[in-house]
Amino acid sequence: MSASASANVPLRRVSVAPRLRVEWLGEVVYAKGLVLQHEAIEAVRSGGEDRLLLLEHPPVITLGRSSSAAHLLESEESLNARGIEVVSVPRGGDVTYHGRGQLVGYLIVNLRARGPVDVHRHLRDLEAALIDATATFGIASRAVAGRTGVFIETEPGSPDRKLASIGVGVRHWISHHGFALNVDIDLCEFDAIVPCGLADIEMTSLAREGAGSGPEFAAAVRDGVTNAFRARFGTVASRS
Amino acid sequence: MSISIRVPSLGESVVEGTVARWLVAEGDSVTLDQIIVELTTDKVDVEIPSPGAGVIQKILVAVDDVVEVGAELAIIDESGAAAGVAKAAVFASAASAASVASSPSASRAVTSKGTTSSPRTSDPVPPPPTPLAQRAASAANIDTAQVSGTGAHGRVTQRDVIAQTAVPAPAAAPSQAAASRTPVRRAQAPAMGAAIEEGDRVIPMSRLRKLVADHMVYSKRTSPHVGTVAEIDMSAVADLRRANKARFEELHGVSLTFLPFIVHAVVRALRENPALNASVVEDAIVEKRAINIGIAVETEKGLMVPVVRDVDRLSLAGLASAREDLSARARNKKLSADDLRGGTFTITNPGRKGNLYGFAIINQPQVGILRVGEMVKRPVVRTFGGEDAIVIRQMMHLALSYDHRAVDGAPANSFLYRVRELLESAEFDL
Repeated sequence: MSASASANVPLRRVSVAPRLRVEWLGEVVYAKGLVLQHEAIEAVRSGGEDRLLLLEHPPVITLGRSSSAAHLLESEESLNARGIEVVSVPRGGDVTYHGRGQLVGYLIVNLRARGPVDVHRHLRDLEAALIDATATFGIASRAVAGRTGVFIETEPGSPDRKLASIGVGVRHWISHHGFALNVDIDLCEFDAIVPCGLADIEMTSLAREGAGSGPEFAAAVRDGVTNAFRARFGTVASRS
Repeated sequence: MSISIRVPSLGESVVEGTVARWLVAEGDSVTLDQIIVELTTDKVDVEIPSPGAGVIQKILVAVDDVVEVGAELAIIDESGAAAGVAKAAVFASAASAASVASSPSASRAVTSKGTTSSPRTSDPVPPPPTPLAQRAASAANIDTAQVSGTGAHGRVTQRDVIAQTAVPAPAAAPSQAAASRTPVRRAQAPAMGAAIEEGDRVIPMSRLRKLVADHMVYSKRTSPHVGTVAEIDMSAVADLRRANKARFEELHGVSLTFLPFIVHAVVRALRENPALNASVVEDAIVEKRAINIGIAVETEKGLMVPVVRDVDRLSLAGLASAREDLSARARNKKLSADDLRGGTFTITNPGRKGNLYGFAIINQPQVGILRVGEMVKRPVVRTFGGEDAIVIRQMMHLALSYDHRAVDGAPANSFLYRVRELLESAEFDL
């Protein structure tokens, strides 16, 4: 028989207020970004809210542990001379480029508060949130099985264009790093690298896809991303 | 006491990772929660914290090794006294390896390199058994050379030794084997006291089995399961199916089974009763907008639950093809991670041998699962023009398990009743 009579434990059907704290930090040098993430991880670890740090990096090329020199198409000296920093980072993955006009999101989320830890689901949720966000600008992006990131589908036969890169780390079961969404970035800068070792992928941006440009557009993108991430990552009610 | 650092469960679809970096070397002292090793899976780097404090006694896998969920990564000796000895021994072995020691400042790195990479580089001779394996072997009076190792590079692990003890012992020494088996058994399952008797077959759990096991325990512990059963007259659906089967198969290239009808009825009932298409997230109930139905499939490897997405947008034919595609890929091991995630409700159909009915365990974080029982012809009472008559009908049971944290009896019962109404009226577009 049904135990409905015993359901006297109140379980409110609530609409949960967003619990994802989103902060726009403006331009932050790469190394400083690592420090901010570290602080955010510690804050979340000691029971603080999950957070999304939104920022832009001045031009920097990061080399992951599995980076090979072949992925850098220009010497470090020449890159430095052009104002592009080269940083080695203790993470997996290959070469990435960050610069002005690219929205970087560091998503610091306690994975354990969301049921059993599932790192792949976290990646897929990141992709889905970005896809939701780009949809608000009329851009139909998609995830591609086997390739983490967000892509624009092209004609059959030609390579997908990559709109956002994703890379995640997990420390003490708290996620860090996140995504880099090309908003209105100078796509020529990517020519210095082969993005993420995928030689057959062309980089693109929301501006190049015709979604808009300029500072107002960049602010609108931040709002769109904020809403999409709150919708997807912000519904965990905190333990009170 | 030693404790193992193992690859933790990292998600439903994650079965293995690659060792990216060791942050400690053998002989190092570690504290609880200290990051020990970093694994990479897909595009995620996961740092594995230490489950306890002690001294790293043994590192069992090297950088770039692919390790399965549950695999042993390292052993921590919790007794501080052994620390000095372990360290000294390790340094000695590193020194004798000779080739590696170049800069003294790198001695730590060299230590781990010397001990962990040697099995990878050279001959096919497996590395010596793990200390736990040696201990278990000597307790059970087993020569580790006779045990086939399943650890990294064929290394004999404790599990291998335990498996060996369960192989029927030679008749000559049964009492000795029985007596000496005790400590091994205790090491493996301290709380349960599960006895492995002579002649028993010990089957180490596969990765998938362990994932399923963990999920089942998690679900039972998380959700108070309540069951309710409906008896459904499937005669109208059976007639509809019979009348359309040939045409359907010709038109769509898939056979028309009963399942798409059941799934369709469930989806319509879920739309009307959104409380069942939901998740519990902390102290809130999240009613899902999408209806994604997981359909459990028993494969050679074990239980898989591929998900058909946005089922409410699929026609019966679309549903039949989607399901056929998913079960074929499940059986051929071709499912991707995406095929398994995002379910909002699950249907399990054990098929012809499913017996009358049974209650399935909820697939977390969903709040309901429906189990399809067998369909049989049964005499039932029907009323024709005011007269009761006993007629033969195709009867089937549907058993719903629901999470009483989120769903009370009334909505659960009206959901199941609605499924019954829809199936008995058999109004389906074919």
